[in-house]
Amino acid sequence: MNARDAAKVTLVVFLFITVQQTLMLEVRIGGVHPDIMILLPVAAGIVGGPGRGASMGFGSGLVADLFLPTPFGLSALVATLIGFAVGLATVALDRSSWWLPVVSAIFSSAVYVLVYALLGSILGEPQMLHVDLTRIVVLVAAVNAVLAVPAVRLVGWALPEASTEGMPTSTSTLGVH
Amino acid sequence: MAKPRRSRRPRTTLIILVVASITIITLDARGGLGRITSGVRSVATDAFSPIRSGVDDIVEPIGSFLAGSVHYGAVRQQNQKLQNEINSLKSQTQQAQQNEQQLKQLTALLHLPFVGNLTTVPAEVTDYNSSNFAATIDISVGRADGVQLNMPVVTGAGLVGQVVQVAHHSATVRLITDGASSVGVLYGSPSAFASANGQGAGKPLDVDLVPSGTPLTHGELFETSGLNGASFPASIPVGTVLEAKTGLTASEETVTLQPLADLTRLRYVSVILWGPSS
Repeated sequence: MNARDAAKVTLVVFLFITVQQTLMLEVRIGGVHPDIMILLPVAAGIVGGPGRGASMGFGSGLVADLFLPTPFGLSALVATLIGFAVGLATVALDRSSWWLPVVSAIFSSAVYVLVYALLGSILGEPQMLHVDLTRIVVLVAAVNAVLAVPAVRLVGWALPEASTEGMPTSTSTLGVH
Repeated sequence: MAKPRRSRRPRTTLIILVVASITIITLDARGGLGRITSGVRSVATDAFSPIRSGVDDIVEPIGSFLAGSVHYGAVRQQNQKLQNEINSLKSQTQQAQQNEQQLKQLTALLHLPFVGNLTTVPAEVTDYNSSNFAATIDISVGRADGVQLNMPVVTGAGLVGQVVQVAHHSATVRLITDGASSVGVLYGSPSAFASANGQGAGKPLDVDLVPSGTPLTHGELFETSGLNGASFPASIPVGTVLEAKTGLTASEETVTLQPLADLTRLRYVSVILWGPSS
């Protein structure tokens, strides 16, 4: 990744955290607000594969952690795992299909919220399991499903051309020895 | 037979990043990174404050417009019945009532009977719950106003919470209803000690350490204990008894408290410039 690509990625992450910290905190349904930061590793996983998904998850997660009262690094850890998993799960699929970002966003959002709450409770914040997880999962997944396609386009613009990392890279000789 | 090989690079990346994340979490929890993360968080919050208030200024009128569109039918009917002059007067009256309410809250903050000689800093509540997993508020004062970590936050009615993050001109307060909040309290006569624990936003407080058979009446007041090493100064009203039950074999009573401060509709609060070492 060259300096230009890095600047583009930084710009996209800045855009997402700005929207999250302004518009998304104003949208509250039953005391719950959307969390669009998880779209970044999901989109990066789809566009660039597991390695880039994990890297984007780590970076965007650390940025998100700056504004959260929960343990520092927790968002980074969960988002790293999600970005890698999405990249790995979609590596053999047609990444240009319209439904892939939507389905990935819904599934990943649900897994992210649950794993985040579980790990948070293990790390000394037991109250994280005593919130209305169903409501959070539904709202976060629904909003992210709507925003998934534009998020993939934005991340696709920022990241270098789609990678084939994680795919089978070579085969040994096919001939008779 | 040929065997396909997968690139190891993504897996190596994953392992490195997971290890890095766990290291950050561990160091932060043990205080090793505490100052660094607190400083970086403070800078990030300060940098975002003007952006956030700018976007809020733009978003609020749009939200009001959309809300008005949703109720368009009702508004139209009302307009048919009411003259423009009456509408205008009604609006003025509502504004006056809001101002009066704000004035009452601010006046109450200026005359806090339970803080004694302690210095307080009034603040406006700028945001609620930055995370879906914690009951917190953001307030408009920070280090520049003398606010520091762990300082208590109150309204005219009673205890609100404790400062958990401080930036230059803003701070985050963990509400007493948050699941991680625990307040040492005193109740009854002679006074007995108990612990009031948060159970999540909007839920009553759960009280531990009340022996079975303790006579408690609905509405009985619980105040901060202020015992040596406590996180809050003494005699701040926390809540009143909502329910007290004793199980047949239980050694403790099941007691719930209704917080005295209305934590769902906070506009203004006061930070008491007090620390456990004060």
